[in-house]
Amino acid sequence: MPATWVDKYGDYLYSFALYRIQDESAAQDLVQDTLAAALTARDRFKGNASEKTWLTSILKHKILDFIRKKYREPIFEDDHLESQSLNDQFDDSGKWKTGPASWADNPEKLLEQKSFLAVVKKCLKQIPKRPATALALKELQGETTQTICKVLNISATNCWVILHRARALMRTCIEKKWTDKRV
Amino acid sequence: MINHWVFKCKDISYLISKSMDKKLSLKQRLGIKFHLMMCDLCRRYKKQLDLIQKAVSLITSSEKSSDDLITPLPDKTKEKIKKHLDSL
Repeated sequence: MPATWVDKYGDYLYSFALYRIQDESAAQDLVQDTLAAALTARDRFKGNASEKTWLTSILKHKILDFIRKKYREPIFEDDHLESQSLNDQFDDSGKWKTGPASWADNPEKLLEQKSFLAVVKKCLKQIPKRPATALALKELQGETTQTICKVLNISATNCWVILHRARALMRTCIEKKWTDKRV
Repeated sequence: MINHWVFKCKDISYLISKSMDKKLSLKQRLGIKFHLMMCDLCRRYKKQLDLIQKAVSLITSSEKSSDDLITPLPDKTKEKIKKHLDSL
């Protein structure tokens, strides 16, 4: 029922978009566009999936369109800085200088800790936008790495590199925040 | 001769990430395995990357995550959207 969509699904759709594009006002616009599009298409909704799933799939397409538009330019200034900070973690012979620190005696338990997930959430917002988006898109159901690269307008080779950077930057960010907390 | 099979930590960190997106060649997979057997820092790196993937998955799939991982839409925005939908 369209009248209840905003209250029922607004927060969920907003979060869904926000974690993928890291842009609050754009995410809000996407929610509005999604619900407006759903309203006009509601006759086509056969009811064979849940309302939530249906609205989410509309949102998903709008997210991809948004990202395509935003990352039309293939080169970004922050790329150079990213690779610099990651290369610094290794010495000239390619070995770790200090290397990863230990995060917990039982790392798997970290997934059950809200404080840890909050740190991960924060880091997703803090690392440069394009790597963050690449990583978040991987978690979009059914999106292959090929699609992600296409949407972000990067070549296949660059794609692996950007995902690698995203993960490495996330790891460094999380380690800093998490190990500071425990001290 | 053995140098062909010995990867440096820097390369391994890239390959570990790539293996999460693409199936690597046998040579690369063996190279990673061999390196991880001897290098506890890279072993830790891989574990942390796996952990991050699971955490990001938890966060981005609001269905699985708890309510405090959902960011609420500001009330003003909700009103704005409702108004907009009414006008259609």
